[in-house]
Amino acid sequence: MAAPQVHHLFHSPIADHSFSSDKQTLAVARENNVELYQSSGNKFTLSDELKGHEKTVTSVDIAPNSGRIVTCSQDRNAYVWEQTPSGWKPTLVLLRINRAATFVRWSPSEQKFAVGSGARLISVCYFEEENDWWISKHLKKPIRSTITTLAWHPNSVLLAAGSTDSHARVFSSFIKGIDTRPEPSAWGERLPFNTICGEFLNDSAGWIQGVAFSPSGNALAFTGHDSSVTVVYPSAPEQPPRAMLNISTRLLPLNSLIWNGENEIIAAGHDCEPFRFSGDENGWQLVGSLENKDSGAGGAREESALNMFRQMDLKGQTQVDTKLKSTHQNTVNTVRAFDETNGQVSSFSTSGVDGRVVVWTI
Amino acid sequence: MSQINYRTINVDQLDPESSVNFPMETLLPATLPQPETSSDAANIANQVRQLLRGGDAEGALRTALDTAPLGGDDRAKEVHLATVIEVLQGIRQAEMARVLEGVCGADGGAERADCLMKYIYKGMSSSSGPGGAKSAKSVSPQSTGGFSQIQGRNLGEGGGGQQMSVLLNWHEKLVDLTGTGSIVRVMTDRRTV
Repeated sequence: MAAPQVHHLFHSPIADHSFSSDKQTLAVARENNVELYQSSGNKFTLSDELKGHEKTVTSVDIAPNSGRIVTCSQDRNAYVWEQTPSGWKPTLVLLRINRAATFVRWSPSEQKFAVGSGARLISVCYFEEENDWWISKHLKKPIRSTITTLAWHPNSVLLAAGSTDSHARVFSSFIKGIDTRPEPSAWGERLPFNTICGEFLNDSAGWIQGVAFSPSGNALAFTGHDSSVTVVYPSAPEQPPRAMLNISTRLLPLNSLIWNGENEIIAAGHDCEPFRFSGDENGWQLVGSLENKDSGAGGAREESALNMFRQMDLKGQTQVDTKLKSTHQNTVNTVRAFDETNGQVSSFSTSGVDGRVVVWTI
Repeated sequence: MSQINYRTINVDQLDPESSVNFPMETLLPATLPQPETSSDAANIANQVRQLLRGGDAEGALRTALDTAPLGGDDRAKEVHLATVIEVLQGIRQAEMARVLEGVCGADGGAERADCLMKYIYKGMSSSSGPGGAKSAKSVSPQSTGGFSQIQGRNLGEGGGGQQMSVLLNWHEKLVDLTGTGSIVRVMTDRRTV
C-alpha cells in the first residue's frame, strides 16, 4: 500500500469534499463558501470560490459527467452551479424546507439530486424544462427526525437515508418523465414515489451517520453513533430482510462508509483513520486499520537528544504528545471513492475536521 | 401584535406534526425482552446470590447480565441494579480479569459486555451509601424521559466511595477488553437498564 497523499488545505473543518471525474478539480465546503482547488503537480491550489450561501455549507457534490456542482447549506437553500465563460453561475433550487439542509448527492443518472434536511424530509429535486427551474418533491412519511446522510442506488430510483431517529430507510424517488421504470429487485417491483422499501433499526440505536448501497445495489450498509456497522441483505418486497448483520466495534463512532466490491466496506470517523471490514451474508468482521502507523506521516520520529532537550526547554516535556499518529489529526467526516472500476475501489479520499483531504491507495 | 418577541415563540409547539411529541417507543428494537416486574427481579436476585455463595462468580455475573430487565419497569431495574452491584462487589480484584474474559469472551459476550458497561455507569450515577441504588431515587435527579442513562452524579459518603472504587476498577478492566465503543453504546442505547 502506497503512502497516502495528504493535502492540508487550511486550518478549519471540511464539512464535505468532492472530486471532479478527471480528478483535476476538488470542491471543498468551507464555512459559508465552497472552494474549488485545481491540481497542479501533486498539490492542489485554490482557483475559485463559489459564494452565495449565507450560512455554513453542509454538503457539496460534483456530477461526474455534466460537471455541475450542487451545494446545500444551513441557510435552507441549495444551488446548482454551472460553468459559463464568465465563471460559475448559481441557480437557486426551491427546496421548501424550514430547517437547515444537511446533505446533498446527485443521482447516478445526474437527472436528479436529493437534499436531506432538519425539517424531517428529503427533497428530491429535478429540472423542469417547461418552467426552466429546479423543483422538488418531498419524501416525508415515516421520517421522524433530521436526515443526516443519503446514498443513491445505482438505478437512480432507490434512495437510502440515515436519520437521527436511528433508522436507516430505503425510499423510492421515482419521478414520472425523468426516470425510466427500474428493474424489479429485492427492494421492490412497483415503485411509485415515496414507497418505503425498507426501514432498519439497530439494537443499540445510535444516530445514523453514513449509509451506502453495495455496487450491485442488493445490499445496504449503514453506520451509526453506536460505533457499529450494520449490513442488510433484503430478501423480497414487503418481507423481512434475508440477513441483517451488526458488527459492533471497540472503536469510536464511524461517520462515513463506502463499499469496495460486494465483500468489503471502508469506513472512517472519530478515530481519525479509515478501517476495513470484510464479510458476506454469513458474517462480517472488522479487519483492521488502513493506516500504516510505523511509517505514517505523523508517526513517532526518531528522537534525538537535542530534540529532547529543546522540547524540555520550550514546553517542559520530552516529547510532542499533541500530535496523533494517524494521518488525519481530527475526525473524518466524509469518505468517497476516488478511483473505482466496476465497483472495485482502488483508491479513496477522506476529509475531516482537521482541514485535510487525503487520498488513500488500497 | 407588535409586542410579541417572535424569537421566543416555540415554533415546534405550533406545528401540528410537532417533534415535541416524538414517540420514544419507536426507537426501541423489536427484540426487546418481555416486561418484568420487581418480583421477577427479586427471584433472579436469589438465584444469582446462590451462585455467588456457591463460589461460581462467573456464572453469577453471566446470569445477572443475561436476565437484565431491559423491558422492565423502574422498580425492577433498581432491584436488578442492586443485584449486579452485589455481584461486582463480591468478586475479588485478582479475579476480575479472569471472570470478565469468561463472561465477555463466549458467544454473545459482546452483548453482555455492553450490558455490564451500562450497569457500571448506572451504578456510578446512583451510588449512595451502603444501601446502594435502593435509596438513590430520593437523592439523584430523575432521568430525562429515558433518553440518557447518565444522570447527575451523586458522590455519597461512607460506603458510596468504596462502591465507586469497585466500579471504577471494573470499568478499567472492561474498557481494556471492549474499547471505547462500549462506552459510546451506553449513551446511544435506548434499552436502558
